[in-house]
Amino acid sequence: MSKHEMLGAPRGAEQSELACTINGEEMKLEVAGARRLLSVLRDDLALTGTKRSCEIGRCGACMVLVDGKPINACLTMAYQCAGKQITTIEGIGAADGGMDPVQRAFLEEGGFQCGYCTPGMIISVKALLDRSPDPSEEEVEEALSGNICRCTGYGGIKRAAQRAIEWRREAP
Amino acid sequence: MLLNRESSGKRWRIRPDGLGKVTGRLAYLTDMSAAGMLYGRVLRSPYPHALILSICTEKAQQLEGVHAVLTHLDVPGLNRYGIAHQDQPVFCENKVRYVGDAVAAVAAETAELAEYALTLIEVDYELLPIVDDAELALLQDAPLLHPQGNLLHRSQFNRGQLGSGFAACTHIVEDTYFTPRQMHTYMETEGGLFVPEEDGRLTVYSPTQHGFMDRLQLSRITAMKQERIRIVSSPIGGSFGGKDELNVQPYGALLALKTNRPVKLHHSRWESVRAGLKRHPMKISMKTGTDASGHLLAHQVRIIADTGAYATLGAEVLNFAVEHVLGPYRYDHVKVDGYSVYTNNGMSGEFRGFGGNQAIFALEGQLDRLAEKLGMDPWELRRMNMRMPDDPGPFGQPIVVTEGAMQVWNAAEASGLWQERGMPNREEEREPWIKVGIGSAFTMHGGGLGVGIPDPAGGRLLLAADGCIEAIFGYEEFGQGLLATLALMLIEQFGLAESDIRMIIGDTDLVPDSGSTTASRATSMMWKTLQNLKAPFTSQLLERAAELLGKSADKLAMGAGGIYETAGDSLLLTYKELAEAKGERISCSTAFQFPTSDTPRTGAHFLYTYAAVVVKVEINQLTGRVRVLDQYHAVAAGPVMNPQGFLGQIEGGSSMALGFAITEDAVMQQGQYMTKNLDTYLVPTIVEHRGTVSVEPIEHLPHGDSFGPRGIGEVGSVTLAPAIAAAIHQAVGIRVTKLPIEPELLQNDCAFAFAEEAVSKR
Ligand code: FES
Ligand code: FES
Repeated sequence: MSKHEMLGAPRGAEQSELACTINGEEMKLEVAGARRLLSVLRDDLALTGTKRSCEIGRCGACMVLVDGKPINACLTMAYQCAGKQITTIEGIGAADGGMDPVQRAFLEEGGFQCGYCTPGMIISVKALLDRSPDPSEEEVEEALSGNICRCTGYGGIKRAAQRAIEWRREAP
Repeated sequence: MLLNRESSGKRWRIRPDGLGKVTGRLAYLTDMSAAGMLYGRVLRSPYPHALILSICTEKAQQLEGVHAVLTHLDVPGLNRYGIAHQDQPVFCENKVRYVGDAVAAVAAETAELAEYALTLIEVDYELLPIVDDAELALLQDAPLLHPQGNLLHRSQFNRGQLGSGFAACTHIVEDTYFTPRQMHTYMETEGGLFVPEEDGRLTVYSPTQHGFMDRLQLSRITAMKQERIRIVSSPIGGSFGGKDELNVQPYGALLALKTNRPVKLHHSRWESVRAGLKRHPMKISMKTGTDASGHLLAHQVRIIADTGAYATLGAEVLNFAVEHVLGPYRYDHVKVDGYSVYTNNGMSGEFRGFGGNQAIFALEGQLDRLAEKLGMDPWELRRMNMRMPDDPGPFGQPIVVTEGAMQVWNAAEASGLWQERGMPNREEEREPWIKVGIGSAFTMHGGGLGVGIPDPAGGRLLLAADGCIEAIFGYEEFGQGLLATLALMLIEQFGLAESDIRMIIGDTDLVPDSGSTTASRATSMMWKTLQNLKAPFTSQLLERAAELLGKSADKLAMGAGGIYETAGDSLLLTYKELAEAKGERISCSTAFQFPTSDTPRTGAHFLYTYAAVVVKVEINQLTGRVRVLDQYHAVAAGPVMNPQGFLGQIEGGSSMALGFAITEDAVMQQGQYMTKNLDTYLVPTIVEHRGTVSVEPIEHLPHGDSFGPRGIGEVGSVTLAPAIAAAIHQAVGIRVTKLPIEPELLQNDCAFAFAEEAVSKR
C-alpha cells in the first residue's frame, strides 16, 4: 500500500488514559484521542440509553450531565471529560433503583412515543430543575429547544415537564 | 369532549414499554452488539446519474482488519428489492441513479477501519446528464433513467363531462400547488445487528414495519429459504413509513453471511438523509368550478409526483393522491390525471399520509379560493358540498357508512377557536407588524392498503404454560403505542389484569404474519382480531375450567387473574392452574383481509377517518415567519382504543404537518442534497410547537357498524397545512401555494415602515 493512501488511514488511534466518574462510579478508561464521549458511552461501556441521532449537536438525543450541566455527548471529546462527573440516563434514577421524579412525570404524562429522544429530554429537564427549581414556561422551552422529538408533538413533553415542576413545588 | 388525562380517567395508563424508555434501559435494535462483531459500511454513489465503468476492491480487500468487501458480484440471489416492484439494486452493476445508490459494502473490525476501507474502493464513473425535474423527465428527449422510460405510473380518473361541467360554472379558480420533499427524520437512524447462527440461520435485528416482507425480500437476495431467516423488528425509534422498505438489511445480511460473524450497521444522519426515503414532492394543478350558489360542478386535477430513482411505493402513493384530491366532496364532472415520474433526485416513498397530505393541501386551497370568489364563508362552502353518509367514496366506490364528515364539520364549527374568528380582532394589543388569523380545513383519509393489494391481518391468543395469556401479532411498535393499545383492549375486552398478559410482536419466528404495520391499519386489525377470537378463546378457557371445577361453563367468567364464578365474586381457578391442567394448549388464531370496497379500482378505500382542523396563527410581517398559536382537531375514527396513544398520534402528526407547512424541505440541486443534517433540515422544536393542541375524538359510529375503530396514525398529519394556509390568508390576504411557506412571501414593506416608526418613537 502506498504511503499516500496511508495518510488517509484512521488516525487519532493512540490510546490514552481517561479518569472520570460515570454514574457515580470512578473509572479509568483507555480511550483513543479522537473518540467522542458518545461513542465511549455507547460502544465501550454499553450505556446505550444515551442515543445517537444527528451527531452535530442539534437534536439532544445524546444529552448527558457533565458536572451537572447538560452537554451533547456527540460534540464532547472523551479527553475533555478527564476528572469530570458524568451522569447518563442510566444514572439518573434514585440509588435504590427507583425513578427520578422527572422520569416518573414523563412516564405518567405519556411524554414520549418511540422514546428515542426521551433520555435526552429527561436529562435536559433534570438539568433545568436542578438549576432553576420553579422555571417559567419560557425557561422550559428554552431548556428543551436543543432537544428534537419527532413523535410526540411536544405537548406530552411540556405536560411532563410541568408535572415534574409541580411535584417539586409541592415537595416539602 | 376534549381528550386529555383528566377526561380519560382510568383509561389513561402507563405504557407497557414506558419504563424502559424513560430509564434508558430499553435496548433499541441499533443499540445491540455481539461478541466478535464487525462493523459494516456501504459505499454510495457520489453522483446522481452515472455509468459504472469499473469497480476495483482489491486495495480494500487487502487492508488488515477488513473481512469482506462486497459488490453486485457477491449477491447470491436477486440483486433487487422493493415492496411492490423489485427494481432497486442492492448493489448497482453498471449504472447509478441517485446519490444514495449502493455500489459496495465493507465489514471491518472497527467502524473507522470500515470507513477507511470505503475510500480504497476504486470506482470509475462516466457521468450522465441529470434528470432533476419530474416535469422535464417526461419530455420526449429527456435522458432515460430506466429502459422502459421515466414514467413509473400513470393514474387517471374521469367522471361526467368536464367541458360541459366547466361551461356551466359561474365561478372557476385555477392554481398550482407545490409540496416539499419532506424527510421522515425518525430520531433513530436506520441500522441493526445481523447475526449468522450456528445452525446456518440468519437473525436480523433491524427495524421494519413488516418483518415478513423483509424476510421475503432478504430470502430473494440471499437465496436462502425464508424459514432460514429470522427478523426481529421492534422496538423502533420512529419510522413514519420510512423504514417499511429495506434499507440496511441487504448489506448487513450479506456481510454477516459472507464473514460468518455478527455485523452491525448504523447509519449516520447524513447517510440516512442521502439513502433514505422522502415524501414525494408533488406539483398539483387544479381547476375547480361552482355554480352561482356555490355547488361544485367540475374539478380538474393534474398531479406530477417526483418519485426519484426507483419505484418503491411510488405508484401506490400516486393512486392514493388521485383518490384524495377528490376528497369528501360531491361533484358531477371530474378528471384527474396523475404521473409518478423517475428522476435522479433522492428516493421518494411511503410517508405518513401517503400522498394525502399533498392532495389535501391543494384541494382545500381550491375550496378556500372558491369561497372567496363567492363571497361566502369557506366553512359553509364545505358543508354545502360535503358528501352525505350514504354517498359513495371518491371514486364512486361503495364505502362504509359513517356520519364522520358532518360530525367533524360540526365539531370544528362549534369549537372555541372557530368561534373566535367572528370576534373582534384585538389589533391594539399587538405590534402593528404582527397579524393573527384563523383558518380551517377538512379531510377524509383512507385506511388500509385498498383494493387489489394483499392486505392480510390476524393474530393469535394462547394460554402459555406459565399461565400468561399471550397475544401474538405480527405488528411492530415504532412509538405509536401499539403495545399499550393492545394491552388496554385485552384488559377491557377480556377483563384481564395487566399481569395476566404477555404481548409478543416483532419476531418472525414467533408471530403470525398479520400484514404490515402501515396505512393506519394496525389498531383496526388488532381490534377485529380480538373480536374474532373473543368467543372461541373464552369458551375454550371456560370449558377447560368447567371440567376442572365440575361446574357448568355458562356459570363461569374470565377476569383478572383467573376464572370467576359469575354469580359470586370469588376467584375459582387461576390462569396458571388452568395452564397446568392436562390437555391440549388452549390457543386460537384468526386470519382475514383488511376489508375492501366492492370495486375494481386498484387502491380504492373502504374505511375512512374524518378530521377537521382549526388553527390560529400569527404572522410576523418583518420576518415573514408564521407561528402557530393554537390548534383544534376533531377526529371521527370510532371508539378511542387508547386515549394516550390517540392524543399522541394527533399531536405528533400535527407537529409533523407543521414542519411540512413551515420549515421542512430536503433541498436538492442537481440531484445533490443541500440539507445534509438537522442544522439545515429544520424539523419543529418545542419553540415552534407553541400553544395547545386540542383533540376532540368523535367516537359515535352508526348503529350496527362492525368495523370498530378506524386508524388515526396518519390523519393528524394531513389537515394542518391547508388550515395554516387559510389562516394566513385571513390574517394578511396572501394565498400560499407552495410549501414550506417561504417567509419572503409574507414580508411586508409597510410593516417595515411601522417598525421604523415604532423604534423612533421609543
Ligand atoms: S446526537 Fe448529539 S445532539 Fe444529536
Ligand atoms: S418520542 Fe420519538 S423522537 Fe421523541
